[in-house]
Amino acid sequence: MAPTALGQKRKAVTRDVTEEDATAPGDVFRGDQLDQILSQSEDEDDQESVFSDEEDEEEESKNEADEESEITDEYGDEDTSDLKPNYTVVQDANGNPRYIYKEIDPAYDSEDSDAAEGNNTIGNIPLSFYDSYPHIGYDINGKKVMRPAKGEALDALLDSIEIPKGWTGLTDPATGKPLELSEEELDVLKKITRNEVPEDGYDPYPDMVEYFSSKTEIMPLSAAPEPKRRFVPSKHEAKRVMKIVKAIREGRIQPYRPPPEEDEGDTVIKHYDIWANEEPRADHVMHIPAPKLPPPGYDESYHPPPEYLPSKEEKATWEKEDEEDREKEFLPTDHDALRKVPGYEKFVKERFERCLDLYLAPRVRRSKLDIDPESLLPKLPDPDELRPFPTTCATIFRGHEGRVRSLSIDPTGKWLASGGDDGTVRIWELLSGKQIWSVKVASDEPANVVRWRPNAEAYILAAAAGEDIYFISPISILSPEEEEKSRAILDVGWGYAASSETNGQSKKETPAKWARPGARLEDQGALVRVTVRSTIKVITWHRRGDYLSTVSPQGQSSAVAIHTLSKHLTQLPFRRLKGLAQSAQFHPSKPVFFVATQRAIRSYDLQKQQLVKILQPGARWISSFDVHAGGDNIIVGSYDRRLLWHDLDLSTRPYKTLRYHKKAIRQVQFHHGGLPLFADASDDGSVQIFHGKVVGDLMENATIVPLKVLKGHTVKSELGVLDIDWHPRQPWLVSAGADGTCRLWN
Amino acid sequence: MAKIKKKGTSGQAKNFITRTQAVRKLQISLPDFRRLCIFKGIYPREPRNKKKASKSSTGSTTFYYTRDIQYLLHEPLLNKFRDHKALAKKIGRALGRGEIKDAARLERTQTPKITLDHIIKERYPTFVDALRDLDDALSMLFLFANLPSTAAIPPKTIALCQRLCLEFQHYLIITHSLRKSFLSIKGIYYQATIQGQDILWLIPYKFVQRMEGDIDFRIMGTFVEFYTTLLSFVNFRLYTSIGLVYPPKFNASSDDQGAELDAFTLEGKSVAEQPKNLINGASATNGTTHATTADAQAEADKLTNLDEPSEDREQGEDLSDDRAEEITATDAIDTFSPTADDADILPQPAPSNEESGALFTPFTFFLSRETPRAPLEFLLKAFGSKRVGWDAVLGDGAYTTNEGDRSITHQIVDRPNLPEGALPAVPETKPSPAQKHANGETDGAADDDEKEEESSNGRLRPGTRVPGRIYVQPQWVWDCVNQGKLLRPDLYAPGATLPPHLSPWVKAKRGEYDPTLSLAEQEKEGEVEAAMLEDGDEDVVEAESDEEAEDGVDEQIEEETGMKIAGSESEDEDEDEDEDENPEQDEEWGGISDEAEDLEDPDVQHQRELEAEALGQRLTANQPKSEDETRKNEAKMKTKAVAKRRREEAEELERQKMMMSRKKRKVLEKMLYGNEKREEEAEKLRKKRRALEKAAQMI
Repeated sequence: MAPTALGQKRKAVTRDVTEEDATAPGDVFRGDQLDQILSQSEDEDDQESVFSDEEDEEEESKNEADEESEITDEYGDEDTSDLKPNYTVVQDANGNPRYIYKEIDPAYDSEDSDAAEGNNTIGNIPLSFYDSYPHIGYDINGKKVMRPAKGEALDALLDSIEIPKGWTGLTDPATGKPLELSEEELDVLKKITRNEVPEDGYDPYPDMVEYFSSKTEIMPLSAAPEPKRRFVPSKHEAKRVMKIVKAIREGRIQPYRPPPEEDEGDTVIKHYDIWANEEPRADHVMHIPAPKLPPPGYDESYHPPPEYLPSKEEKATWEKEDEEDREKEFLPTDHDALRKVPGYEKFVKERFERCLDLYLAPRVRRSKLDIDPESLLPKLPDPDELRPFPTTCATIFRGHEGRVRSLSIDPTGKWLASGGDDGTVRIWELLSGKQIWSVKVASDEPANVVRWRPNAEAYILAAAAGEDIYFISPISILSPEEEEKSRAILDVGWGYAASSETNGQSKKETPAKWARPGARLEDQGALVRVTVRSTIKVITWHRRGDYLSTVSPQGQSSAVAIHTLSKHLTQLPFRRLKGLAQSAQFHPSKPVFFVATQRAIRSYDLQKQQLVKILQPGARWISSFDVHAGGDNIIVGSYDRRLLWHDLDLSTRPYKTLRYHKKAIRQVQFHHGGLPLFADASDDGSVQIFHGKVVGDLMENATIVPLKVLKGHTVKSELGVLDIDWHPRQPWLVSAGADGTCRLWN
Repeated sequence: MAKIKKKGTSGQAKNFITRTQAVRKLQISLPDFRRLCIFKGIYPREPRNKKKASKSSTGSTTFYYTRDIQYLLHEPLLNKFRDHKALAKKIGRALGRGEIKDAARLERTQTPKITLDHIIKERYPTFVDALRDLDDALSMLFLFANLPSTAAIPPKTIALCQRLCLEFQHYLIITHSLRKSFLSIKGIYYQATIQGQDILWLIPYKFVQRMEGDIDFRIMGTFVEFYTTLLSFVNFRLYTSIGLVYPPKFNASSDDQGAELDAFTLEGKSVAEQPKNLINGASATNGTTHATTADAQAEADKLTNLDEPSEDREQGEDLSDDRAEEITATDAIDTFSPTADDADILPQPAPSNEESGALFTPFTFFLSRETPRAPLEFLLKAFGSKRVGWDAVLGDGAYTTNEGDRSITHQIVDRPNLPEGALPAVPETKPSPAQKHANGETDGAADDDEKEEESSNGRLRPGTRVPGRIYVQPQWVWDCVNQGKLLRPDLYAPGATLPPHLSPWVKAKRGEYDPTLSLAEQEKEGEVEAAMLEDGDEDVVEAESDEEAEDGVDEQIEEETGMKIAGSESEDEDEDEDEDENPEQDEEWGGISDEAEDLEDPDVQHQRELEAEALGQRLTANQPKSEDETRKNEAKMKTKAVAKRRREEAEELERQKMMMSRKKRKVLEKMLYGNEKREEEAEKLRKKRRALEKAAQMI
């Protein structure tokens, strides 16, 4: 369609171009125009490929025809009347000049078929409607378009005229004139009917241009010289590489290694002691542990007693029952040899059901009505758990003449102090059994009691001989600082005593006299002497080491005295006691004081100054007692061979009565260093060791297990072991015998 | 005015949460929730009032504590589960794209590893807590150790279970903490006491387990995962507590040959403490395989040479043991006896592990081919036997595989007593006469050779009895262990009718039947008489008809299984032949007691007698009839009196019940119901026993 486009363009040019443009030399103009046309033609092609209707085709061909005629006109105009005005001047009726302008070609596109000038405007109605009229319609100005000549006249004419070129014999419906087609137009039509591209010279099968081929181009695409960066190594890259190299050298980047394949489960489970620092946790109230499966009964045996075998009826009913209704999941069967026992086929299933029960079954606590009383009993601990306890005699301390009345291990556990009938107080090295120090406190009376002050910071020994208590800090075993400290503790009371005396507080008879014992004893370390009214048999220290109580059974109202070391003060807490006082103890944590008379033990609250409880052990003559470190349990030894365990929470009667000795029990003692042990010493020359575990739980009673009889002391004049004492930490025991020896048991 | 309380904000409605709610709250899938619950030991609860607990109108079935679920929210495992879910998606995507390699890589490298250590510590704050919960763990792991591997159970898991179980058994052997064991129809029960905790578990017999049915192995697998972790920590603690290195050395090649327990070598911990091969001491020297070639003789010599020093060494150990005992003798707990009556008697603990664990110490055992090796080995070793040998067929690691070994004192046999003639000849042990001639040996020498060759082969001819050796059935071991003493072996001789095997855990409660006591001791008043009356009416008639019936039964059996009866007959014949044989053996034996000889008598009646004796009652001659009648009359009187008294008692009880409140009455009725049921059961058993005893008497 190049020609059409050409025409259109030119027309546009004629319209838009100003006069100066029009005057421009035609050659240049033409060249410019051409360029545009070339570029435009492709667009037109595209457009055309879109429209393929025949109507359009026809219309266009019509336009072409019109335009061609125009072109000729315009060319004519252009050529002939370059400067001619587009009007003609005529004279009107008045003789005035009248300008008749040429009809203005509207600036419509020529493609607008409606604006065809001079055409019939009757629209899209059949032409036959005008058959009876001389005209065939109206043009745009309302003038009749006359029917062209027709009929005989025309025929005659035709006959005389040759058939013009391009005659089709058709009538143009728009004009009513015979439709003539040019040669080219016919060609186009022909091509269209053949489904070919109507354009001239169009090659539907052009040769392929191999843009990307194996052929190497000789010439470069651009003539620019090759840049430097193409052949100079990149600094930036070098930097990055160096960075990586450095990282590899430093080990920051490891060369890739596929992760090691996992071996067996060994590597998965790491072995360590998960319970290394275990601490028990109280069970939650709402937690119900899974019930254990009951142990098998007789009927589950592979070879049960014959009476457990089911009879025929039982077997039948069992088999008939539904699996869930059965009371037992198996039928007792007898196999007379182990080799005849088959596999149990429901084994895996039962295990699985147990699993389901464990995680899927709601647990409910049910109170059981008939409980086996045995199950309530505490289980005996394993023998291994009972260890350690003293078993053998390790050291024998010889040196006392006559009986050893009393002995005590100091709070550090290094020294053993003993007092005997010879009136001496001796200090021994516990492990070696060597005597380190000794002092004769009384010449005519035995040293009845020796007791170390419980605080480990200073070494102070309280020893009683007759009516006197001596506070001794044995010089030979002490370092200067320790001696200083001990001396300070003992001396601090002098000032207090003096001040109270100057106050003139009491002129009446004091319960005890605090004095210096005299130069001989003071040189040896006995720094203070307290004289009470009657012979002292028992000394007990308060845990802090400031108070100590003494018991002198014959002393009537002054039988029990409490001394305050820091004030050099002695008090008599009881005006009178029922019966003879035998022993006294401080409660290990509370301000409670226990006093044992022959038959009963009374506990007093020291703060409120009132009686708390009376225990009736049921013994005829209590010899000694000891309070457990927890304070709720007491052991009592009696001269009528009983050892009694009292649980203070339980009752005033003993929880257990033990009679394992043949002779009177002289001394009982708990281990105060955390081991669940206690021991008693008897006149039959033996010491018995017991395991006595007290559980904090109120529901559980104490477990008492007899462990050991230690025999070694010989009985002399009906007296065996007179005193025992535990090591403050180790499971070691020392005992004082009437045979003049002390023994260390471990 | 008080504020109106909103419904469902407090109390049960808030304390309980349904499973669906829980799963939704935790944002995990149900299987994951299940796993989490198993690991954490969280179980559903039963609210006191279901209606109050559930907010929906429809009754929900499973409730959990809200607190429990809240506590699960903080579980680190939850994140692992989520990671796993994400990974599963990635793998799924990779597989969908057909990138198998990618999927495999993802699975290999990114699978989150789940560790349960913290959960173990959390669930069992102390070691004793863990021991308390070991019952199920051991049963489960021992089962899995005996299962074949399938798609659901990877072989790795099974190997791990086996290893852990064997390690645990080793601990029990060393510390002698096994207490009791019981052969049940389900399997073998064991009970051990560790740190005062009784642990009871069940091991199946070595058969292929039936695994079909609706068994979800994923659930079992989850449990096994938890239990393996638990047991490995427990094992570690147990081993380190006795100064051993954990894990013990595991010899895979030895395990492949079926050594089981002996595949492990235990080592002491410190260098100063000599690394002692606690188990393999003796067997290591003898563990060399016995060749059946011609150099067997030389090798055997070598072995015997080796044996001697080892025995010396043992003696040395014994001496040192003795010395140790002297020390421990004073270390042991004394027995206290009260000196007067009115005192409390304190219970004292039973002898410690060492004492009870020394039951089989002086003996050498040999297990015959047909006996179950694993349980016997474990049991014998746990009770002190250091030398347990077995047939080479049963696997590696035996003290000796030579049945003819002189040191063997006991042989455990579980086969019928067949005469030699009934057995097929063993061809390969006898060299052909031609060979003998070729070797140019005299006949006597050849015989010696034969013997030696037999012994070198490790196998005697079946049925032969080595003189001086005690032959027992496996049950002997179990009964000895349970009673804590060596029982008469002749009751358990091969072929003998075994006494009933009783569970060591049953403690007779009042009113329950106890098979160890005689009938007279536990019968209630009037029960015997009533029974006598019942029987007496039919006695005369039934005595014969019973026999007839029995014959009839026998005939029936014969019809059903002809083979069996034929077999039993032949057995009888065999026994006759045995009788011929026995004297010879006795001569060889020499040291057997007269009683045993009597018992060896294979008479059927005698066997019955024996049975009766085992049951603890005497066989008596039948009473004269007139006495019988007078007795019957007496019985009648007595039963009547008893019945009357019972009736009166019942009436009295009814009257008392009327006075009680409803609640108390219900409680009482429940108790009575329980008691009655128990008594009925006991009565039924007694009745059966009576009938049995009577039948024994009749014959």
